[in-house]
Amino acid sequence: MAVISADTRDRIKTLVSDVLEVESDELTDTSRFVEDHDADSMRLIEILSSLELNLKVTIPQSELPRMVNLSGVYDVVGEIRP
Amino acid sequence: MTGATLAITDWSAVSPFGTGRDAFAKGVRQQVSTAVRLDRERWGVPDDVACLVPDFDVRTALGKKGTRSMNRVTGLAVATSGDLLAGAGGLPVPRERTGFVLGTTVGSAQSTIDLTRGSLTGERPYHVESGLIPYAVMNGAAGQCAIWHGLRGPNATLSAGRPGGLVALNYARRLLLSGRATAVLCGAAEEFSDARSWIDHHSREGGAPGPVLGEGCALFSLTTEPEEPPLAELLAVASATFADGDRRGAVDRCVRRALAAGGAEASQVWVACPSGAAGAEGDGELDALTGLFGAARVGTPVAALIGETHAASASFELAALLSRAEDDSACAGRTAVITSIDPGGTAAAAVLRLRPGQ
Repeated sequence: MAVISADTRDRIKTLVSDVLEVESDELTDTSRFVEDHDADSMRLIEILSSLELNLKVTIPQSELPRMVNLSGVYDVVGEIRP
Repeated sequence: MTGATLAITDWSAVSPFGTGRDAFAKGVRQQVSTAVRLDRERWGVPDDVACLVPDFDVRTALGKKGTRSMNRVTGLAVATSGDLLAGAGGLPVPRERTGFVLGTTVGSAQSTIDLTRGSLTGERPYHVESGLIPYAVMNGAAGQCAIWHGLRGPNATLSAGRPGGLVALNYARRLLLSGRATAVLCGAAEEFSDARSWIDHHSREGGAPGPVLGEGCALFSLTTEPEEPPLAELLAVASATFADGDRRGAVDRCVRRALAAGGAEASQVWVACPSGAAGAEGDGELDALTGLFGAARVGTPVAALIGETHAASASFELAALLSRAEDDSACAGRTAVITSIDPGGTAAAAVLRLRPGQ
């Protein structure tokens, strides 16, 4: 599995906490977007599109089920990003 | 006509006068002018002045949760409905039975343009801020008001330009008379934005100076089951289109039809409130009302104080009428008329009975 840089991780964390409207210290690698941060389906789409827009990648919607927490997002982006 | 009473039990406004019914009524009473010089850092517009809701910022007004992508018009509508729902006259019926009807021009021209621009300039057409999408369609504000406040009744957005607030009253009237809802929050909202200012600028011949733009939202609680004597009863609304340039005729027709439908006589009318439209529309509207009621019974539009608020203008006229009625017991049981007209070719009139049963 591809590994993403610490910089990219920080960037992702900032983007995701922005969308979830939480402080970045409230968001851990394993805290779950829906269960722990009250995200709804619209919010999950926003996370995906914010990552696409800002990291200049395209993430298939079929990856959404894996993007339940930061750790899942790191994995998905790591596989896509060269 | 059915025997049901369409009662206006309460209202609120977030306007250039400030937040809430009291601030608005005070502004009307004291004839406060609200135009301010625009901050060039904040607004990239051709206007030098505008009538803004003072210090209004969506996230300051509503908090940081659920507001990241929320546009100004939605913030104005959510804040106004929140104030109305929190008021003493609050809702006598469950929120499951409460509908929401909002008049608008195009929703938020700013959000629509931002989303479109993002799609055209991004790396890929679909690399857009998806959080903007719900607000880039015109029913974003009404939808968000219902979500925010848990209003489960019918939710409608009417794009009708300047008569938006009157057309919304008619829609609410039908929902109530057909039993689709027991109460309806109904009104109109318009935001000030770079996009709206530029569209307004370019819609005038040769960039001729236009009216000072204003913004805000006014909402009214309507129900067929009032618990106390209401502020007013909505008797009838009529609307018309004009393709022939006969603005006076269109307003005249609307008023006559609304009076007839409401079972009211022109001679009984206490006051007729024009919408304060600019140019030929305003002239035609004023001609019609002066012809029907005489100049002494034609009111001064609140637009002179809060600017051209387009979709919200008729709702602000109603708010101003109810403010004046509050101060004048002579109006109890009297009839009032509110009209509006849009350069796009629509006109409307509403007939109300003020402070019935007092």
